[in-house]
Amino acid sequence: MKALFERSIPFTSWLMVGIGWLGLSCPALAALGGDLTSVDADRAHLKATSLEVKPSEAYQVHPIQAPGGTIISEYVSSTGRVFAVSWHGPFIPEMQQILGSYFQQYSAALGAKRPYGRRPLNIQEPGLVVQTGGHMGAYFGRAYLPEMLPSSLKADEIK
Amino acid sequence: MRKKLCVLTLLGSLGFAVGCGSSGSTPAGIPGGGGTSANVLSIAVDGGPTANQTNGSIYPNGAFATVTICAPGSSSNCAKVDHLLVDTGSVGVRVLQSAVSSLNLPAVNANNGSAAWECVSFVDGSVLWGPVQAATVTLAGETASNVPIQVVASSSSNLPSSCSGVNENTVSLLGANGILGVGLEPVDCPACDPSQTSTPIVPAYYSCSSTPCTSQFINDSNQVTNPVVAFPADNNGVIVELPAVSSSAATVTGSLIFGIGTESNNQLASSANFFNLCADLFNTIFEGETFGVNPSSCTGPGSFIDSGSNALFFPNVNNAITVCPTKTPAGDLSAFYCPASPLNLSAVNEDPTNGTQSPAVNFTVGNAQNLFTGSSTSSNAAFGRLAGPVPAASGFDWGLPFFYGKNVYTGIDLPNVQTPFWAY
Repeated sequence: MKALFERSIPFTSWLMVGIGWLGLSCPALAALGGDLTSVDADRAHLKATSLEVKPSEAYQVHPIQAPGGTIISEYVSSTGRVFAVSWHGPFIPEMQQILGSYFQQYSAALGAKRPYGRRPLNIQEPGLVVQTGGHMGAYFGRAYLPEMLPSSLKADEIK
Repeated sequence: MRKKLCVLTLLGSLGFAVGCGSSGSTPAGIPGGGGTSANVLSIAVDGGPTANQTNGSIYPNGAFATVTICAPGSSSNCAKVDHLLVDTGSVGVRVLQSAVSSLNLPAVNANNGSAAWECVSFVDGSVLWGPVQAATVTLAGETASNVPIQVVASSSSNLPSSCSGVNENTVSLLGANGILGVGLEPVDCPACDPSQTSTPIVPAYYSCSSTPCTSQFINDSNQVTNPVVAFPADNNGVIVELPAVSSSAATVTGSLIFGIGTESNNQLASSANFFNLCADLFNTIFEGETFGVNPSSCTGPGSFIDSGSNALFFPNVNNAITVCPTKTPAGDLSAFYCPASPLNLSAVNEDPTNGTQSPAVNFTVGNAQNLFTGSSTSSNAAFGRLAGPVPAASGFDWGLPFFYGKNVYTGIDLPNVQTPFWAY
């Protein structure tokens, strides 16, 4: 009898991800958890264009449009830190660019044993949430640092 | 090497047809007698290719099919590949290199004139990376001649940094030998065609003639192609037919029928609920909230039907449903719901172009951990009550449990012929 439907990610597979990560050619300015300059770094790396900034007292939302049309919104706190990123559009953004220094934590969570199947992610790590959805041509998702959310913003409002 | 090829096609309730092409000019797999049965491909929710391996694992709610892949123009240089995931949520044939390496398929070029490679990202954080090659793909009695497919490279030595994620390039990682993408579009990256976009180039297709690989434009005609649109007939869509699964079942079998309204066996039922789409999405109304496309701009996120999603995925409105733990005997189940007892819910789907609403879709959410670990269900492959969360304010993903007990129509976006649609 089959016990479980598990799979695990071999180390070599992650090694390649790690090499890719180390080989990132642009400055290692983090998006998530980074400061306001990381918004510009993301825009430059992704060759994206700025859209209108949505002001709020406690935070600002900086939307950018990546090649192919995906809208990436970076949420910046009043102290200038990026505490959330959301996206929707035809392509999944480069996660290592979006997550910055949190990419390793995300990668480790992805490597956990789980059943086979193509499905959205719901990563709830200490200090990091990553959720995705959609299908080819129409993706959405968000990543945020729950402990850095302004009190005036509920997690469900990051979209 | 000449290999005798014989394709046995199970035709659902219609009986059997056997198509054998040993040599000569007759394409392999086309039944000589013709008739409507040629457009029916048997599919099975059987746990996938690793289910029966020692220490292998079951792929829950994966519908699989067998395809025949040949070198273009050949009826003998072929490989019969089992267990491709039937995916109405993606476009194009993707197959592990190990399954087709003996065919020496020819390269397909990117617009810079060198062999094209592709990185495809999936919502689960995985990627498929490999060269684009030309092949003739036969599905039951239908043949897509000389279409670009993606061959998932066994080696990830030239994986570009922009293609980050778990590179699922083995059977044990992918849980399948490939993906049979028969979704709403003819090709997989309209924005990669230079006529559809402006610089900079989308990081999807690459040239690897120098290191590192660099992203390239590629015309629609060279992109990985929905095999259905390349059929000579029955090429405007597919119907997935699967039997009802109330809670769970060891395996179930059904049919992938090619064409909609082109044969006597693929007519759109007059009772079917029909949905025009906006950006290949529609609206779902659930718990008083509409999860749908922006009506003025026709942009997402929104809701969709997708045989390649292995559960129903929808926002956890008011966090009303318990999500499964990260650490369980069945692994990380945080992608699924684990209510204490089964929840009976319903939602209404809506055509975003005209507001037409369908009758409510009733569904049940079971406890994924109990289903995956229970002594009577843990060896099953089909689960009618599997569901999980997606971000608030996003969309409803009607995955494979939605297909059980229905005929689900996916109408392909064919300019000047038809606009994309779903019906059930």
